[in-house]
Amino acid sequence: MKTPLYDRHLALGAKMVDFCGWEMPLHYQSIVQEHLAVRSHVGIFDVSHMGRILVHGPDAESFLDYLSTNLITGKKDYSAIYTVWSTPEGGCVDDVIIYKQDKYHFFVIVNACNRHKDLQHLQDESESFDVYIEDRFAEDGILAIQGPEADNVIKTIFPAACDLEQMHFMPLKYDQEDIILSRTGYTGSGGFEIYAQGRNIVNLWDSLLKNGAPFGIVPVGLGARDTLRLEMGYALYGHEINDKIAANESVASWTIKWDKPNFLGKAALETLERSNNKRHEHGAILLDPGVARSECLVFKNGKEIGIVTSGSYSPILNKSIAIVLLSETVKNDDIIDIQIRQKMCKAKIVKLPFPRKL
Amino acid sequence: MKYSESHEWIRTEDRTGLATVGVTDYAQRELGDIVYVELPIVGKAIQANKEAAVLESTKAAADVYSPVSGTIVEVNTRLSESPELINNSAENEGWIFKIKLTDASELDKLMDNTAYNRITKHKT
Repeated sequence: MKTPLYDRHLALGAKMVDFCGWEMPLHYQSIVQEHLAVRSHVGIFDVSHMGRILVHGPDAESFLDYLSTNLITGKKDYSAIYTVWSTPEGGCVDDVIIYKQDKYHFFVIVNACNRHKDLQHLQDESESFDVYIEDRFAEDGILAIQGPEADNVIKTIFPAACDLEQMHFMPLKYDQEDIILSRTGYTGSGGFEIYAQGRNIVNLWDSLLKNGAPFGIVPVGLGARDTLRLEMGYALYGHEINDKIAANESVASWTIKWDKPNFLGKAALETLERSNNKRHEHGAILLDPGVARSECLVFKNGKEIGIVTSGSYSPILNKSIAIVLLSETVKNDDIIDIQIRQKMCKAKIVKLPFPRKL
Repeated sequence: MKYSESHEWIRTEDRTGLATVGVTDYAQRELGDIVYVELPIVGKAIQANKEAAVLESTKAAADVYSPVSGTIVEVNTRLSESPELINNSAENEGWIFKIKLTDASELDKLMDNTAYNRITKHKT
């Protein structure tokens, strides 16, 4: 599948890659340069492979609250909430951002690879709720503008954007059509995401690149999107969370609001929480040269204690970093061994996010 | 200079059977930013088309194969501190190892510049 910006990516000389059936830009120039551009200035991303699903109706709020580890009920209108959706058995269906327009009108942004599964999940679980569910997969395009200069770039088109609070959104008009602008992102460097129809996404991409030039804007591919989120310790579905990793074992455990009366999977998560089988995810910085990759085995004092869920290189730290899923308790500064090919490489457990200051 | 199908180059230094090996400019572009190079051990004997080094990029790990059989006589230690030399100068300063050939006729099996450009052109 192609996003509305496919031709733009080719014209910019992007290296294209298949991502869950989508032909997406992996990088336009160097992943490290794109990463650093987002940290120091601003980058623009095509994230149209993500999916938007509308959830409307009298029970919309209680329905989404029931599906979510995080609290949805009673949140402010026009706020956006990051949450995990748990299975009844305690695995993760997906991690999503839920946008609340009002008590009866929500939409959800889901991962590209989970679009259809999530839509099915919503439909399956909605039987006893009065809700209307509709996907916007065919119509939408999504952009992200991320970095310390993102406000300066966005206000050239949407002056009102600067009043937007963190994790909030606003409906706006662009070319007489409805679009949504939100102060959300997946990089840790601040910025915005824009949801609009395909045609508008192309015009917005062109305008933002042009207006952003004085602020040093660069197009950024999925390669740097991954290193940026890993540096911040954010979960990526299929790595830090999946149907075999519970939310309370993961870096997204903070989303769980245990005092909620009920949510799907709560009983399973509570059982795991009380058991001795709960694993934990941690950040680790490699002390030996090399790069850890997902699936690498982790050892401590010669005993296998877990795996790497994500591993790459941090351009900000100029070090190799990883998130590890461990069955044994460790503390910050503990030393573990990560097996990279045949070699054991020492790594240190650290607090997330990896850069203590950006 | 000769080229392998797995995108290494080899340059024979002189008539003593010594050659320098690296990856091609095409390969470094495909790999993206190289952030770590696992160099071979000096003195190690290696067979043609066997793994000699590993390049780690921001995307993935890639093996570097020796285009010929021989003994590793020197490695480019600058790559330990500056792996980006491969991105900046893949076919010159970014060389990876020097090898003493055991069978110079193996060079005849490799591609010349024209043949190598032909196989990379249809990919770009």
